[in-house]
Amino acid sequence: MSAPALFDLEHVGYDPVLRDLSLRIFPGEHWVIMGPSGAGKSTCLRLFNGLLSPTGGRLTFHGSPLETMDPPVLRQKVGMLFQEAVMLQGTVEENLCLPLRWRPDSARYTRRRIIDYLHLVELDASLLGVPARTLSGGEKQRVALARILLNDPEVLLLDEPTASLDPPLARKILRLVHRLQREFKLTVIRVSHHPELARDFADHVCFIQAGRILEAGPISRLDQPVAPDLREFLEQSRS
Amino acid sequence: MTNTFYSLTWTDVFASLVLVLVSIALLKWWKIGLEKTLLIGTLRTFVQLTAMGYVLTYFFAQRRWYFMVGLVALMILIASYEGYRRQRSRVRIPRYFAIITGVLFVTVAAVLGTVLQFILHVQPWYYPYAMIPIAGMIIGNALNTASLTVNRFVGELEHRESEIELYLSLGAPPRVAVQDALRESIKAALLPTVNSMMMVGLVQLPGVMTGQILSGIDPIIAVRYQIMIMYMWVTASTMTNILVLALVYRQFFTPRQQLRRELLHHR
Ligand SMILES: Nc1ncnc2c1ncn2[C@@H]1O[C@H](COP(=O)(O)OP(=O)(O)O)[C@@H](O)[C@H]1O
Ligand SMILES: [Mg+2]
Repeated sequence: MSAPALFDLEHVGYDPVLRDLSLRIFPGEHWVIMGPSGAGKSTCLRLFNGLLSPTGGRLTFHGSPLETMDPPVLRQKVGMLFQEAVMLQGTVEENLCLPLRWRPDSARYTRRRIIDYLHLVELDASLLGVPARTLSGGEKQRVALARILLNDPEVLLLDEPTASLDPPLARKILRLVHRLQREFKLTVIRVSHHPELARDFADHVCFIQAGRILEAGPISRLDQPVAPDLREFLEQSRS
Repeated sequence: MTNTFYSLTWTDVFASLVLVLVSIALLKWWKIGLEKTLLIGTLRTFVQLTAMGYVLTYFFAQRRWYFMVGLVALMILIASYEGYRRQRSRVRIPRYFAIITGVLFVTVAAVLGTVLQFILHVQPWYYPYAMIPIAGMIIGNALNTASLTVNRFVGELEHRESEIELYLSLGAPPRVAVQDALRESIKAALLPTVNSMMMVGLVQLPGVMTGQILSGIDPIIAVRYQIMIMYMWVTASTMTNILVLALVYRQFFTPRQQLRRELLHHR
């Protein structure tokens, strides 16, 4: 018997965007979800942390159906980094401590811990008092990462977090994600429509087109793509 | 000097039409193109108020509590429909008509009840000369403020969509995710009322007070009424805003605490 899957999707659908997704994601894996724009990648990601609920099929986390879990509990365990890191009005510190607004938990948000996490994402503690909206795109992504990590997640969902960054900076963020993944034993599910960056640090790939999975498995599948659409997708973006 | 009571005849009212004719002439002269609308407004003012006068005379003569309550209920329904129509944004709020009707009923019952029972000590409680005009003031004010606050709230949701999803994604309950949107909307809707409390009496006398003074009532008494009315207004506005938004924001979330983005994107 194999180890239990972290996420288990059986014929999951989200009408009318996604159809018949079947996939098993195990703890510690780093998946990259690829596919053309409008394929349903972001929609798929939202299913994992319950920002959307499947309209069909079965989706479990640690063996229990998502609809039986308390949404806030699930979302703390399954953190999500959006394409544009959203910063609220206020300082970097206020942004990092955002969850205190609904979950008074001062032990989790001590000054010491906040600074540690800022260092973890390779930012300086002097940023704490800076208005978060004045940060650069890369810095915002790092603050957003730290904000999620302060929640002690098990899974990190990333929706093209580097789409608006230039490639060298994007690589840096991906390297950081990889380091954090090992350090916190995270499972990473990352969306990318950029085949060059897609492979970085990923060990599994899932190719979605028009709401269906055309290819899913180890990242080596990208070397000998079976699905013609995937082959075409990879060639197009190489040129 | 004795107080003179200047009664207005229908002929006098027709004479006041001259005022409107002046503005129509001005608009025509500058080719603004609003003359027709103004003319319709002038006619509707006349017809609606005259009709209301006769309806009131009829109802006031009845002296039965259920007539008065029925009239207030009718006013609330008309106001709710008007509020429903005024929700002009592309975003359709589920159950909106039921929400404003329900909230207006609760607000009117609470504020009107307090005013009649504990402030004016009206006997009997449905005495129409107190109940109907006060109910009208509460409803009118509540309706204006509810329209303001809801339109603003929907605008805030549209513009804060990603912020709200950020909150949710970190595990916040919907109420926290929309807190900033709620605060901005309520502030914006209450500000005109609060500002009018700051300015009242300095520049302009409120309509009710003017009317009372014109019909020969001692200004000090008119002032007392006006103070009570202002306090009543701000309470009715606050109650309406908070109750309406408490029900409206829930319409934008699923039981699984998900933002119903499809409502904002009107697919
Ligand atoms: N609730 C919905 N109902 C209908 N269509 C939707 C809904 N949500 C998203 N879509 C559409 O589904 C498609 C996939 O969206 P998305 O998941 O954002 O794609 P991707 O992230 O792969 O670019 C898009 O065409 C989008 O407009
Ligand atoms: Mg997307």
